[in-house]
This record gives sequence, structure tokens and C-alpha cells, in this order.
Amino acid sequence: MDLQLKRGLLDVCVLAAIQDEDSYGYKIIKDMKPYVVLSESTLYTILKRLENCGMLTVQTVEHGGRLRKYYRITQEGRKRIEDFKEDWKEIVTIYRFVTKEELPHE
Amino acid sequence: MNKQEFLFQLGQHLSGLSNGEREEQLNFYREMIDDRMEDGLSEEEAVAAIGSIDTITKHIADEVSPSEAVPKKRWKVWEITLLILGSPVWLSLLIAALAVVFSLYASLWAVIISAWAVFVSAAICCFALTVAGIILLFGEHPLSGVAVIGAGLVCAGVAILLFLGCKKVTSITILLTKKAVLLVKRCFRKKEVT
Repeated sequence: MDLQLKRGLLDVCVLAAIQDEDSYGYKIIKDMKPYVVLSESTLYTILKRLENCGMLTVQTVEHGGRLRKYYRITQEGRKRIEDFKEDWKEIVTIYRFVTKEELPHE
Repeated sequence: MNKQEFLFQLGQHLSGLSNGEREEQLNFYREMIDDRMEDGLSEEEAVAAIGSIDTITKHIADEVSPSEAVPKKRWKVWEITLLILGSPVWLSLLIAALAVVFSLYASLWAVIISAWAVFVSAAICCFALTVAGIILLFGEHPLSGVAVIGAGLVCAGVAILLFLGCKKVTSITILLTKKAVLLVKRCFRKKEVT
């Protein structure tokens, strides 16, 4: 898959993994596993990128005598998910054109 | 491999990153290992599940696209102006400093080469005096022959000592030169990364 496209999709996947509640690295990987297998190094890069873009914030919380980072989605992040849903409709239409699939009758 | 070993080795592989970034990455992997252990895996299993260090570092390198690489420091106009205006001073000082370093280095090699030359002459003297001494010993002046052979042996001793000394000093100088070149290279590479 095209690297840029894959990056964009994974960004949205990670945002989707934290859209209902704050989550931490290992839980994000576990939650995504049935759909997408993500390595730790890839997740780190995505989280860092999303944090730099202001799509999520990070809170360090004490857990079991150690520190754990929790990631919280921001309004920007939620907007990114909504934008993705809109973009996807367009992509599906283009896909139908490319594969000569007929448009559904309205 | 246990957690400490893994994090130590990973830290060494990430030496190209800034201290803050490296520490952040190590904390991330530490947390990941701890969470897996909390999930029921043993320490070794948790480390193995993270993947090999080579794969991780390759992944990090692949993930950092040219556009994401840390942008190079951009010089401001006043900095460039100051740099140009000050060039007669700093450039000449820099050239002078480099010339001093180079001349010191050249002098060091000159001393070493001279020492080798002394060694060669001592070896030749030793050979010549021994031959002359033997000729005299079996000729008309046997006593002089013994004295000349003795002088030849002294030269041999001096040559042996010089050879050992020169060899040691030469190898040390070559080693230090290699280290200095590596150090300079590393400085430039670090500047590119950070």
C-alpha cells in the first residue's frame, strides 16, 4: 500500500481507538489487533505525530507503582475522524469508477 | 534477554537521537514491556513480543520520512551578516588554529621518521663495525678488532632499543590518528542528526 495512504489510515485508526475513552499504548495495540496489527515502533511514531498535530494530548498517570501514559483525543482529532469518513465516500466512488463497478441506483 | 538488557541495547542503538527523544522512546518501550508483563507474560516473553532491536531501529528509520526529519537550523539574516562581517577575524583565527594543529601533527611524524632514520643508521653501523672488527681481528690489529666489534655490538643494542621504541610510538600515533578522525566524523554526523 502507498506509504502516505497507509500512514493516514493508521492515524485515523489510532484516533478511533481512543475516541470513546482515554487509552494507553499497549491497550491501543490490543484493541486494534483484530483489525490492524501494529508494531510498537509504528505506534510510537503515530502517537508522536498526532500529539504534534494537536490531535491528542498525553497525560502521565501513576499505575501500580509506575508511570503510564494515557492518550486523550482532542476536538482536532475528532474532526480528523469525521473528515476521514467524508473522504472515504469519495474514495469509494473513485474505486467504483476505477473498477468499472456500476453506481447504485438512487 | 531481560528488560534491562533490552533497554540498554536499544538505548545504544538510538544514540543518534537527542537525549530527550531517546529517553522518551525508552520510557515508551519500558511501559510496553511492563504492560505485557502485567497481562501475564514473563519478562523474557514480554521483551521477545516487542521484537528484535534491529527491526525496531529499522522501523524507526523507515518511519522518519525526509519531510519529518528534524529541519535544519535556518540562519537568520543578521546572523549571516555578522558571520560575513566577522569572517576576516574568525576565518584567519580558524586557519591559524588548523595550521598549528597540522604543524604539531607534522612535527610529531617528523620526530618519528627521524627516530626510524637513526635506527636504520645504527643498524648499518652495527653491520659495518662488526665486519670491520672481524677483518681487524684476523689481521694485524686484533685488539682494535675486539674494540670495533664491541662498538658494533653497542650499535646493535641501540638499534634494537630504537626499533622497539619506534614501533610502539608509530602504532600509538596511528591509533590516535584513527581515533581523532572517527571523533571528527562523529561530530559532523551528530550535527546532521540532531
